[in-house]
Amino acid sequence: MPIELKNVDYVYDSGEPFEYFALRGINVRIDEGSFVGIVGRTGSGKSTLVEHLNGLLFSSHGEVLVDGLTLSRDRKVLSSVRRKVGIVFQYPEDQFFAETIFEEIAFGCRNYGFSKEQIDTSVQKAMTIVGLDPGRFLSLSPFQLSGGEQRRVAIASVIAMGQKYIVLDEPTAGLDSGSKLTVLGELESLRQSSNVTVILVSHNMDEVAEFCERVIVLDEGSVAFQGSTEEFFRSADLVNRTGLELPQSYRLARALKDSGCTLPVDESSSDRFLDSLHSWLADSGVR
Amino acid sequence: MAMSRSFVLGQHYPGVSVIHRAGALAKLTATIILMVAVFVATRTPQYLPLALVLGAGILLSGIPLRFFVRGLKPIVFLIVLTVVVQMFFTPGTTLWSWWFLRITREGVVLALFILCRLVLLTLTSVLLTASTSPIELTDAIADFLKPLSRVGIPSAEIALVMSIAMRFVPTILEETERIVRAQVSRGAKIGEGSLVARMKGFIPILIPLFVSSFRRADDLAVAMEARGFRVGSERTRYHERHFGSIDVCVLVASGIALAGVMLWRLFL
Ligand SMILES: Nc1ncnc2c1ncn2[C@@H]1O[C@H](COP(=O)(O)OP(=O)(O)OP(=O)(O)O)[C@@H](O)[C@H]1O
Ligand SMILES: [Mg+2]
Repeated sequence: MPIELKNVDYVYDSGEPFEYFALRGINVRIDEGSFVGIVGRTGSGKSTLVEHLNGLLFSSHGEVLVDGLTLSRDRKVLSSVRRKVGIVFQYPEDQFFAETIFEEIAFGCRNYGFSKEQIDTSVQKAMTIVGLDPGRFLSLSPFQLSGGEQRRVAIASVIAMGQKYIVLDEPTAGLDSGSKLTVLGELESLRQSSNVTVILVSHNMDEVAEFCERVIVLDEGSVAFQGSTEEFFRSADLVNRTGLELPQSYRLARALKDSGCTLPVDESSSDRFLDSLHSWLADSGVR
Repeated sequence: MAMSRSFVLGQHYPGVSVIHRAGALAKLTATIILMVAVFVATRTPQYLPLALVLGAGILLSGIPLRFFVRGLKPIVFLIVLTVVVQMFFTPGTTLWSWWFLRITREGVVLALFILCRLVLLTLTSVLLTASTSPIELTDAIADFLKPLSRVGIPSAEIALVMSIAMRFVPTILEETERIVRAQVSRGAKIGEGSLVARMKGFIPILIPLFVSSFRRADDLAVAMEARGFRVGSERTRYHERHFGSIDVCVLVASGIALAGVMLWRLFL
């Protein structure tokens, strides 16, 4: 079952002199098992939208349904929704408090009453997913890590809970390009193996083109586009209008086309671009 | 989220009225004069000139009345308590009695007087804080403390500490909310369960908060030094304020209120 937002408005400080409409008439649907991107320029409402998904914020109008259950302040509803939807926040390393990385990652599992063995296996698995070697890191303090390692611990602390929907708000900001790909690649295989739904908020269009089949594009609090990622990046006007830029592969393919070159490349992501280029070169006998 | 706004900025109600535009130093002085007037009065009717001036200030500020009502809420309990105590325990002519309870004429008069006194004091300070941003206010307090530096009290540093603290209160509240949201998303139960469970529930919030506050303090210290801040040197201000006609009006109005109360006390 999907997550659905129906006609959602959100007003910050409603009724106060600083009142601000952060979301207007949002209608989106996030299907189970999909890898969805949420993009939009700074201040377009991405984080605000994300906080509606597990009942941290409640819409001023409209409703949010998670697996058919309408979100409300009711305690039972909240805890069952939070059990399903995990969020990795922007700058998640600010939440660290435990003495060891193991404790930090185990925190969520303990809150949800995992048994001791379950905790051990979930923590190990989550660390592998984000590319941290359990043998080396388990008993270190989270505060003595580098920024990028801290980010990975924070991501692992959410993944470990084994939720059905995982939302990541700019998880790769501050990671080197290698770890970016590892983390997202592992999330993709987690999606394929356990049918986890991944919702990725990102400013990096290459990443979005590579991993997200679908995108939700926000502009000034409204949905400017919702659908397949390829379709979005093919409409260069829309991309411009919403203050975003094209992924490198699209730009390259366009430049090739403009210069009259008709290579049959797959522009839908940098990786696929390179692959198609390689196979074309191989086919035409160039080494 | 709503908490930080209603808690801190709730005190300040931004606007462009004459009261908002008046200098903080003038408003602070006027507030002190009005408070003196509140204490000078000996009987309820003497509050009339004061109430008129304060009422005019409230109307001119353009701040909705419900904002002032909200400002009174925290002291409702205090007001009720004192009024009840005064009514029942002041000796004098009995108006009404039942069993051991007795309300006296003098008690009612005194209760009314104290009620007016508390309400006027609160409204005066709410008007000041609502129409003046916290930063302007600390600057004004610094000006007030200035003479103390002659006798060796580091008034400039005290003022600096105060304004830094003011500046960071909303930031830290926002930070707290962010951390609470992150921990709640990780299944933390805050404010639920037994007392021990509740105390334990605060740890995942307090530690990150301390860590980030120390980091922030560190960053700020480095940034201040990098920009040439040295303790003990003469400071200049970014917002220089000059005494204007509005300031004079504010001071004159509060002076009139005080004079009115005093005259009334002497002659009526
Ligand atoms: N606590 C708040 N109070 C008032 N306004 C807020 C608050 N949080 C966010 N806003 C406003 O709501 C709008 C949307 O903010 P949001 O954080 O959702 O943007 P975003 O798309 O996540 O941006 P970024 O890419 O920078 O993370 C912004 O204009 C912001 O100023
Ligand atoms: Mg954001």
